[in-house]
Amino acid sequence: MTPKFKVGDRVVVKDQTSLFHTRTQAFVRNQEGTVVEHRPDWVIPEDEAFDKLETGRKEPFYVVRFKQTDLWPRYTGFAVDTLETECAEGWLRPAGKNE
Amino acid sequence: MSDPHKPIQASEEISEFEVLELALRELAIEKGLFSAEDHRRFSEWAESIGPSNGSKMVAKAWTDPEFKKRLLENGTEASKEVGIDWTDPTGTGTPSDYTFFYVLENTPQVHNVIVCTLCSCYPRPVLGMSPDWYRTPNYRRRMVRRPREVLAEFGLHFPSDVEVRVHDSNQKSRFMVMPMRPEGTDGWTEEQLEKIVTRDTMIGVALPSADWDASKAPSAGGGK
Repeated sequence: MTPKFKVGDRVVVKDQTSLFHTRTQAFVRNQEGTVVEHRPDWVIPEDEAFDKLETGRKEPFYVVRFKQTDLWPRYTGFAVDTLETECAEGWLRPAGKNE
Repeated sequence: MSDPHKPIQASEEISEFEVLELALRELAIEKGLFSAEDHRRFSEWAESIGPSNGSKMVAKAWTDPEFKKRLLENGTEASKEVGIDWTDPTGTGTPSDYTFFYVLENTPQVHNVIVCTLCSCYPRPVLGMSPDWYRTPNYRRRMVRRPREVLAEFGLHFPSDVEVRVHDSNQKSRFMVMPMRPEGTDGWTEEQLEKIVTRDTMIGVALPSADWDASKAPSAGGGK
């Protein structure tokens, strides 16, 4: 699959349902970060959780880097600090655009 | 006053996950998928893996720039050079660990540290079982939110121009930190270097030091 985002793109993590299973943490939802690396396509956790390893939906994954001061309003560290986590493409939208 | 001779009450609490694991294991044994002895052997093997493979890789990378390049480019492939196959023994990896392995290089500007906020994801084929504290909600919650406070509790402090970069292994990747080679190790062999690359330095909660290899108890007061 051709990844929709490239390294350097600003993205926002969508606030989608976690009614069943997800690996997208609550603390990154609605937060803006930068794509820093691509990861191989993989069955998304929402399907993998139901053992659909063959038939589940595959998506590209991305490493997204956030500024800690963006994630936590009262962050106690320094402005240079960051956090990286991985998101499936379906959880991301381009920054600056609404759904 | 409490009675000093009263027996210690062990906690009888059992989590839902432990109940689930027991039930599944009993079913699998009953169905003949594996035997209780198979299960014991697997646990014994899995729990005997220590962090020495990770130490080997870091020491090799410190002394061999070509290996370092390969390690940073493709951790899974480079692991094979020190005898670790991430797909061993099941063909799809150590259960719950199969994945992509990435090595995070510390630099004078960036200090990396790993955590899994969702559970306890850890690069077990290279570092063995994770320490107990790594799996606690306390570490998992606080390392993402207050990393400098948690690092300070481990005795580690960085100035404001060093970026503390937390890696939450929430998906398919597993990470290991490659610390910087410390001072006082010029001319050391790979074998000497391996010893000071301790488990905690590859999690990112400590820095290697020429005078510490975790093989014997530290002197009182640490002597530093």
